[in-house]
Amino acid sequence: MTLHDLALAVGNSGVGAWMRSNLHAMPVVEATHVLAAATVLGTVLVVDLRLLGFTDRKRAVTVVSREMLGFTWAGFVLAVITGVMMFAANANTYYGNTAFRIKLLLLAAAGLNMAIFNLGALRSVVQWDLQQRTPRAARVAAALSVLLWVSVIFVARWIGFTKGYDFAVPDNVDLDLTIP
Amino acid sequence: MNTTFRLGRVGVVTLLLGAAAAMPALAHHSFAIFNMEQTRVFTGVVTRINPDANHLQIFFVPMNDERKGVLRSEDGKPMVWAVEMAGSAQAASQGISVNSLPPGTYISVALHPLRSGEAAGSRAETGAIYRCPDKKAPEAGKHCDTVEGRLAFGDGPLAAAKD
Repeated sequence: MTLHDLALAVGNSGVGAWMRSNLHAMPVVEATHVLAAATVLGTVLVVDLRLLGFTDRKRAVTVVSREMLGFTWAGFVLAVITGVMMFAANANTYYGNTAFRIKLLLLAAAGLNMAIFNLGALRSVVQWDLQQRTPRAARVAAALSVLLWVSVIFVARWIGFTKGYDFAVPDNVDLDLTIP
Repeated sequence: MNTTFRLGRVGVVTLLLGAAAAMPALAHHSFAIFNMEQTRVFTGVVTRINPDANHLQIFFVPMNDERKGVLRSEDGKPMVWAVEMAGSAQAASQGISVNSLPPGTYISVALHPLRSGEAAGSRAETGAIYRCPDKKAPEAGKHCDTVEGRLAFGDGPLAAAKD
């Protein structure tokens, strides 16, 4: 099963059919996706701004990050669910969309950046938890995080305006009007 | 005082939600790019459907007048047309979906062509899209609405051609 087959299977699912045929499904799911994305970006920014030294050093990095993490994950899970639902509505078109592909790569990069930060700079956090100026590795991770998540939002908005038309004729369509 | 204010806000929110719910019924863009004075009627073979939430498009290759083959360019390539309509959910309410019009289906549709001359148009406001029974093309010069066992998606007869 190729990635394209998987995408088509998602599109042909009951969720896909429901999204295509229910008048209110797309606007409601779309709005929920925006709210979820706003939650992810907002809570990620709170932590990143602390790491970059823009907010109060009396608030420990670990406290700020612990407060936000639950909201970030909840928002992310909701965004993934609503995102898959929107994808299912028109899987073939989104699959071939360049902006959509770039968005997935940016999401992967943001996740990787977060993982590297967790396994690296964050391990020594007790030493700089209450410092205004955090280690360079932490600031680089935070700056990258802001850049990547903001880029995700921008490129995501591009998807809706670059869906394009596919005039190609699939191979299995009989255009010779053969009578069986 | 405070309570009144809150009720007011709830009212506004309710109104906004109501407006949002009514939105899909409206067109997503203007029709200026289409020549609404002209109507062309095609019978053709469906190649694919793009079930876009804002505008569903059916891609098809028109049959020739004899209904014995499809229109092709000089180098033999099939001439694919696209007909655009309301969003996928509104189209689905008339039975138009990726499942009801799979690739290879014969359909008849009336459309207002693009002013640019490109092979696409906006579905005529009135009349149904007709589906021929599987592999049964209409007689020469006729459309699926004349074929026994046809299916209609939408109401009314196939819109008439107009120049």
